[in-house]
Amino acid sequence: MIHGESERKILEILRILKESKEPMGAKRLSELMADRGYVLTDRAVQYYLSYLDRRGFTRKIGNVGRVLTPRGVAEMERALVEERVGFIISELERLAYRSTFDPSSATGDVAYNLTIASETEGEAVAAAFEEAIKAGYGFFSGYRQLDRDPRVPRGYTGFITVCSITMDGVLQRRGVPVRVAYGGRISVQDGEAGTFLDLIDYRGTTIDPLQLFISAGLTSVGSAISEGKGIALANVRKIPVQAEEETRGTIGLMQECGFSFPVAMGVELFNLPSDPYRLSVVAFSGMNCVARAVERGLTVRTEIGAGTIPFSKIAGSNESR
Amino acid sequence: MMSLPLKFVSHRIEEYALQVTYDPEEDRGHVIYNLSLLQEEDLESAMRIVRDVARAGLMVSDRVRLLVAGEKIGGFMIPAGQAGVCTICSLTLDGLLLRKGIPTRSIGGGILEIEDWEPRRFIHLIQYEHTTIDPLQVLASQDLTSILEVMQMGNGTILANVREVHMEAEHAASQILDLLVELGFMGVLEMGAPNIPLLGMPVSPHYLGIAMVGGTNPMAAMNEGGIKTTTLAMKGVIPVEELPHLEEC
Repeated sequence: MIHGESERKILEILRILKESKEPMGAKRLSELMADRGYVLTDRAVQYYLSYLDRRGFTRKIGNVGRVLTPRGVAEMERALVEERVGFIISELERLAYRSTFDPSSATGDVAYNLTIASETEGEAVAAAFEEAIKAGYGFFSGYRQLDRDPRVPRGYTGFITVCSITMDGVLQRRGVPVRVAYGGRISVQDGEAGTFLDLIDYRGTTIDPLQLFISAGLTSVGSAISEGKGIALANVRKIPVQAEEETRGTIGLMQECGFSFPVAMGVELFNLPSDPYRLSVVAFSGMNCVARAVERGLTVRTEIGAGTIPFSKIAGSNESR
Repeated sequence: MMSLPLKFVSHRIEEYALQVTYDPEEDRGHVIYNLSLLQEEDLESAMRIVRDVARAGLMVSDRVRLLVAGEKIGGFMIPAGQAGVCTICSLTLDGLLLRKGIPTRSIGGGILEIEDWEPRRFIHLIQYEHTTIDPLQVLASQDLTSILEVMQMGNGTILANVREVHMEAEHAASQILDLLVELGFMGVLEMGAPNIPLLGMPVSPHYLGIAMVGGTNPMAAMNEGGIKTTTLAMKGVIPVEELPHLEEC
């Protein structure tokens, strides 16, 4: 059994292999490990790889290199719980750097979530997404359906919604320090956001808060849409009070591009924990689309922050504006 | 529009702990409970699952109560057409340690991997200071547990939580835990050594961890078995006598 620092290195090797679309050789692996702060000798890399092969976490593909096995994927999702608390947000932060969207020219890349549904339920999922977006519970005014993508298995269809981490990318590029704080459930009364019912800080969980709320059946986006009374999903971000003007200006530009946030912005907002020196920015999440689909009894699987895509590819299709 | 800020679970745990009056020496007093609702017609199969979960030692204690529509517990009445399952919440342990002069720092609730009948490591965790919803309430319905498999084969995942106490309290805490086991509290999984991570969870300097099975394991097992349950967010304290030992049910 391997412990401590070695376990961290092994987890990082598994993560690198997971991200790679092709089998990876030991040399390339050792370079990528060094990029991530783990400098290993060739011998050490070989040692870890043979350990991983023995455990059935990796598999050798001829002389080309190694791939992750399903067991390896499971191990990656299970190992080092303490290290994975907060990992969700680090992963999303990577996407913030990669979303190059410029709201003043409506160009660049935005981050997205990928939802996969069976072809037979595809139409119903599309209807659920449209319903949520049209009623203003999305983060962006459109979504995109995609079929030809290696991540979408045969017989399934994929849906792309804009991930709200795009906002963090835009703001940090403009010099605003922004921190994703909570994923929450917010009550809707008479069509207006009321108070938060629950909050989970992204830094204190190994599972995405919004996915948790959806699978626990704790949303009612449907009745929020139809009766103006229900429970929707929202994210809370914190920015320094001094950055308010810059933030409002940026948000204004993003709204012109079809983004639909914030729900509200302020120092003392709803029943959020207050900090006199930081503004809370509350935005509905694109995950409300997924929540609506699940409420309708549809089976979907969503990867939050699945990648980045040119804005033009999502702005043009399935618009609900 | 302003209302009081939401309360995080770490804070609520302290409030509950202050209400726990259960004294293991007399086996009397108030304990914290979990209450879940299910459909009336599922009650019989639910009872069978509860017995199996208890036999496997995956409940906080062998005290449990099944309620039919119209019955009341902690001021809550079971609605028509439904039934209730009430178990002792694992946070009761924090309360009674506190009453014995041992404050605990509750770290969080999560999913624990079991290998060959032994707890191996936490694979998921939600920290109490970072959530307003009880982690074990939401985690019971995520398809992340495999309690039925653990009961049959000794491999799988269950709900559990972990707290830490100062190493000065090691002796006193272990005495209380021993006493609890005699009284039917079967749910203590493991007590760690000072400064040593427990089941993959690091502890503060000079602290040791105590892991306990979650009170909502029976409910999660029911969900796995196709019985839909809803765990109520509200918790409270009730006299321990209101929850009979399983063999008395």
